Amino acid sequence: MSEMSYRDAIRAAMMEEMDRDPNVLIMGEDIGIYEGTFRITAGMLKKYGPQRVIDTPIAEAGMVGTAVGMAMLGLRPIVEMMTVNFAIVAADQILNHAAKIRYFSGGQVDIPVVIRGPHGAGVQLSAQHSQSFESFYAHFPGIKVVAPGSPADAKGLLKTAIRGKDPVVFLESAALYGMKGEVPDDPNFTVPFGESRVAREGRDVTIVSWGRMLQMSLIVAEKLAKDENVEVEVIDLRCLRPLDMEPVYASISKTHRAVVVQEQWKPFGPGAEISASINEKMFDELDAPVARVTGEDVPMPYARNLELLATPHEEHVIAAVKRVMYRE
Amino acid sequence: MAEIIMPKMGDAMTEGKVVRWYKKPGDAVKKGEPVLEIETDKVNLDLEAENDGTLSELSAKEGEMVPVGGRLALVLAEGEKEPEPARRATDKKDSIKHTTGEYGEAMEMKGPRVDRVAAPPAAANVVAMPAAGGRKRSSPLARKMAAEMGVSLDQVSGSGPGGRIVASDIKNVGRVLNPPGRAESPSHVEAKSIPVTAMRRTIAKRLSESIGPIPHFFLTADYDVTNLLAMRVQVNEALGVKLSLNDFIVRAAALALRHHPNVNASWSDDVITQHGDIHIGIAVSTPEGLITPVVRNADQKSVADIGADVRALAEKAKNRKLQPNEYQGSTFTISNLGAWGIEEFTAIINPPNVAILAVGAAEARPVVTAERQIVVRDRMKITMSCDHRVVDGAAGAEFLKTLRQYVEQPVRLLL
Repeated sequence: MSEMSYRDAIRAAMMEEMDRDPNVLIMGEDIGIYEGTFRITAGMLKKYGPQRVIDTPIAEAGMVGTAVGMAMLGLRPIVEMMTVNFAIVAADQILNHAAKIRYFSGGQVDIPVVIRGPHGAGVQLSAQHSQSFESFYAHFPGIKVVAPGSPADAKGLLKTAIRGKDPVVFLESAALYGMKGEVPDDPNFTVPFGESRVAREGRDVTIVSWGRMLQMSLIVAEKLAKDENVEVEVIDLRCLRPLDMEPVYASISKTHRAVVVQEQWKPFGPGAEISASINEKMFDELDAPVARVTGEDVPMPYARNLELLATPHEEHVIAAVKRVMYRE
Repeated sequence: MAEIIMPKMGDAMTEGKVVRWYKKPGDAVKKGEPVLEIETDKVNLDLEAENDGTLSELSAKEGEMVPVGGRLALVLAEGEKEPEPARRATDKKDSIKHTTGEYGEAMEMKGPRVDRVAAPPAAANVVAMPAAGGRKRSSPLARKMAAEMGVSLDQVSGSGPGGRIVASDIKNVGRVLNPPGRAESPSHVEAKSIPVTAMRRTIAKRLSESIGPIPHFFLTADYDVTNLLAMRVQVNEALGVKLSLNDFIVRAAALALRHHPNVNASWSDDVITQHGDIHIGIAVSTPEGLITPVVRNADQKSVADIGADVRALAEKAKNRKLQPNEYQGSTFTISNLGAWGIEEFTAIINPPNVAILAVGAAEARPVVTAERQIVVRDRMKITMSCDHRVVDGAAGAEFLKTLRQYVEQPVRLLL
């Protein structure tokens, strides 16, 4: 174990995998000489050279298309999007090619492509660069959608993504890049997909979250324990697809109430899917409607004060917890 | 002016009966006032006037059947005259109020069909049907818990938004219905028919034989079992066994019977048999019913031996493995409902025995001592049922007096 930032954990995962497997390479905008807009790829060009750390033109569709072709021929490319928002330009390559080729080829061709980059709000990048895409990608069969909420998970899940055989959209919380945490040093440490975890045990309310909202939920849980004698159980989904709901169900059978905390807009977001699944499976266990805490239904403002107003905050989660406990 | 007609209260309804008129022709009626009561095959209900006016005509007598849609009465507004013959009904809801009938059926009802010649009634005139306000909001968990606890949601008031009944409301009701320390109620009790088994038939036959021809009388004694309870704890700790209080009572009764062979007896029309051997039947409850396996020669066995016998026999009884020689031939019987928290009760004699002991729960109770002080002691009530043909009142009382020595001075049980 060593203490490491979320950013360094991502870099460590990529470098360990590049050391381990010569077929792993990375491409993206300003990732080589400039060492990445968020400095994720610092030192990588120097270590691995321009054949494996490739600066690309500003052409996301071309980047992903190239990566899909490389993957079909046996390489394991990582594509860094300067922000995940820019991958919209490559949506056809991701959703119609990467996600479909294994199916179209009758299982003959795997597409081990990782599309990763900073994601979500909280760092004043305004409306086009602060969006969340969980529900957008997780809607489609054929790709995996991962959203780590801690440095250790960032490393372990990214290594699983690189070693896998399917396209993975890897959503890094931009606001968590500086967060530090204990990360295993073992180069074979990985975190499997589709295993949600209990991030904090509690008896009263289940909070379901992931990514940056997970960290906020954990802070809220400690506050509620201290101030209100409410013990919140926090479930970290880690992956939106494959989505492991079993720990959520197990938790609700104990707490009988649930709050889903997501950063993005409410309509058709992951909270809707999670809440509907809970209703289908756990209806008779619920003592209150599943509550959703979401961002405001507006394009993300640039102004700091407005961005804070538009994203979920601790008091929103506290209010939702009290609401499902009929304590408001 | 409005016509009151026989409403259609369900698809199957073709006619309804006029039960009684609340008004006579010429009576003034007020909007919402009941005019008559009708009866359908499902409910009785009042039909109300839908506007102020005068009742001009009653088209049906009390007790008369009227087809659906048939006119029952006319209400004339002030200044109106008797109208032309009846008009076609239209399908509008009108005010109805149930006087009897089942809630579930009320939900399916449609309002009566009324021909509106006058202005339609204001919406406020429509009395809310029980269905609208009748269903209580409740969370799924609360409903599940209520079903498991046998609590009707009607008994519960909801503390959630809009009066929603939530889990904590059910828990609170449950606490009242099942205070701590008492057994929980069964999760769900369904109505069912249970065929009378041969065993149950035998119980019925023998016990009614008993209470019928046997002239029972009952004697209750209140024993101080403080020492006995203490001894039981000591014995169990010292020997590492789990003897029940009843094991001691069986031994005490067996020893007392030695002093009273007239209680350890049987009646037949020409002879009373005193058995000599003391075989004590122990009433055991099984899912199928009561059975009384027998501890043989109980007076010759230690409490530990009796305990072992009882445990083995009860286990066999619960598995229906008792052999006839294990439940026949008792000379005296003991029934103990202390474990169910019964303070005292009377038992029915198990023929051909002539007496049975009904043992209640040992409880800490305030007792007035000879020095007129109130102290807390453990007490237990035992009621003896006697067959008066064999055991007279004094004989029974003598037995209970002897039993008191063994129960209250338990060291005697060891001798």
